[in-house]
Amino acid sequence: MNVIYELLPVSGTTALVALVALALGITAGAVGSFAVLQARSLVGDALAHAALPGIAVAFILSGARDPATLMIGAVVAAAVAAALILFLERTPRLRADAVIAVVLAGAFSAGVVLLTWISASGRGDQGGLESYLFGQAAGAVEADLITASVVMVSALLIVGVLARPLGAVIFDRAFSSSIGMPVRGLEAISVALLVLAVVVGLRMVGAILMVVMLIAPAVGARQLVKRLPPMIVLAALFGGAIAVTGALLSSALAVPTGPVIALVGTATAVLLVLIAPSRGVAWRARRRHVNHSRLRGSELLMALDGTSQTGPMSEEQLAREVGRNLRWVRRGVRSLRRSGLADPDRGAVALTEKGRARAAQDRREVAAWSAWIEHGWRLDLPDAREPDPLNMRRSLGEANLRQLAELGQEGRDRAPVR
Amino acid sequence: MPLFGDAGTIMLTAGLVASACAILGVMLVLRGLSLMGDAVSHSILPGIIAVFLIAQTRAPIWVILGAALFAVICVIAIEWLVATRLVRSDAAIGLVFPALFALGVLGVHQFTADLHIDLDSTIYGEIAFVPFRVMEIAGVDVARGLVVAAIVAVVDIAAVALLWKELKMTSFDPGFARASGFAPAWVSRMMLVLVSITAVVAFESVGAILVIALLIIPAATARLLTTRLLAMVLIAVSVGWAAAIAGYGAAVAADASIAGMMGLMALGAFFVALGVTAFRRWTTESARFREAQGRSK
Repeated sequence: MNVIYELLPVSGTTALVALVALALGITAGAVGSFAVLQARSLVGDALAHAALPGIAVAFILSGARDPATLMIGAVVAAAVAAALILFLERTPRLRADAVIAVVLAGAFSAGVVLLTWISASGRGDQGGLESYLFGQAAGAVEADLITASVVMVSALLIVGVLARPLGAVIFDRAFSSSIGMPVRGLEAISVALLVLAVVVGLRMVGAILMVVMLIAPAVGARQLVKRLPPMIVLAALFGGAIAVTGALLSSALAVPTGPVIALVGTATAVLLVLIAPSRGVAWRARRRHVNHSRLRGSELLMALDGTSQTGPMSEEQLAREVGRNLRWVRRGVRSLRRSGLADPDRGAVALTEKGRARAAQDRREVAAWSAWIEHGWRLDLPDAREPDPLNMRRSLGEANLRQLAELGQEGRDRAPVR
Repeated sequence: MPLFGDAGTIMLTAGLVASACAILGVMLVLRGLSLMGDAVSHSILPGIIAVFLIAQTRAPIWVILGAALFAVICVIAIEWLVATRLVRSDAAIGLVFPALFALGVLGVHQFTADLHIDLDSTIYGEIAFVPFRVMEIAGVDVARGLVVAAIVAVVDIAAVALLWKELKMTSFDPGFARASGFAPAWVSRMMLVLVSITAVVAFESVGAILVIALLIIPAATARLLTTRLLAMVLIAVSVGWAAAIAGYGAAVAADASIAGMMGLMALGAFFVALGVTAFRRWTTESARFREAQGRSK
């Protein structure tokens, strides 16, 4: 063991905490992926609260407060709560979140009643039993590293072997059950993995912060990939990275480990929600902005081109022409001038040659779209996809466009003359 | 002794808190946000620490304001994450409240180690002590917690009654609500802010466990028994009152935590409702089976 520590650029205690965190983070990331996809990500929260009555019962039965006994109580209570959640989820009218919340509130009430009953019946001091829920990472010993590694290896083995069937159950439960897969058993296994991760995490980072360790890596990974197997791998990597970063950061700043890991986890997940390529909030906002300004430009171009006989227009006239407010028009004109579609001279707005060409092209696009709406069903297309109204040429192809134009012309020729 | 006596005060206070919680709880259950009560109870920690550091006070009104600020931050952040449609509501809750709680834990560690701030007595009240803190209204001694609970209940009932149509539409069909010109996002947001403020005020007078239990269990019980919104609210409120009264009796008999016993009584009601629905399903199914048998003869 010592050899490993000497290879690391940090002190022995920090290295130990970081390694335990690494094992825990990888486990939580892999196991949490299933929980997040099944809308069960707060099961961890409920299990953690359910540990309280288990700890109280273990204390009542044994009269001792050594960690091992209390741990057994916590594991048993968490398993009972998990079984109860699985059972109640079969109730047709209750969604998973309601079931989890009922079990959480009920178990915690039971825990509180047991704790007050212990102190009222003079069975000794119950103070401090609750603090078991909050965890102590700094107090990690080598036994914790062994426990965490064993849990990590077994969790990864189970996930690796069962990833495909578990994925099938998550994405199409009814189908999986109809082809004879043991759906209930697989669900029980995925929740059992969750119990395992929560109970180990409880001691390390505490109940509440364990919730983030299960959720954040999976949410982050989901933003980057679509398929389940890469998502599990990525979530495990994120989980490890988040936990180690948090552990090193907390030892550098000399603050508790659990909260720092939780904050790093939430920050990572939120950052990925913001910037994930082609899906994140920032990307969507940019795409919306680009489309918006293109549509605005096209509207102005066609208005300017349509009235070419009367010469250049002032911005006020243009606003009246398109029926928009002046600020909207000014912003559009500015971007037309910047891209060389309108004459850069201040004052009246006039199109350049390039602008006229673009206006004609946009007009064709609009005509193509109207023709598509009216006659699209007569085209012989290989698939049933809607074309992109902002780029008809690319989505339909030249030949189809020409056919649409002919159909449109035919329709206009036949239209009754009023 | 306050008006209504000690036992009466405790049961009335719990019943009023139960009414407020049950009404809001129904809306949470229908929106898939049942764990909001638990989330708010953890996320207010940094607010309490911040008030302690900035104002150097433990006066209830300041603590409630600080806690309410973070409760609102919590629900707005969750709402925002859900609105991106990139994160489901359960994962959004699980990302936000532990982070706020973590901030609070770090605050406790950094700043208040020597101040000895006892969180249990600062914000998480205890319903057993409600009769001991009295105030005088029109020459009569009334428990402060009872007055607070009554105000909260009246405000919540009024708000839900005013927004009834909007809440109904946005709970069952947000898409249709948007199409008909309502703003489901704003209705939800207002409802969540109401939940967070109600929860914080109730935490201070009766304790967090009772609020979390009364927010969810009566509402889930009602959800089992009916599909109509008004019936759901009425059943949830009745279950809340029953749990308050029976829970007090049980707590006195067993000499245990009042809040915990009230939660357990509510849980008992939930299991009774579960039994009733299972029985109902069984009878309709066997009736259908007999009918089918009769036809095949």
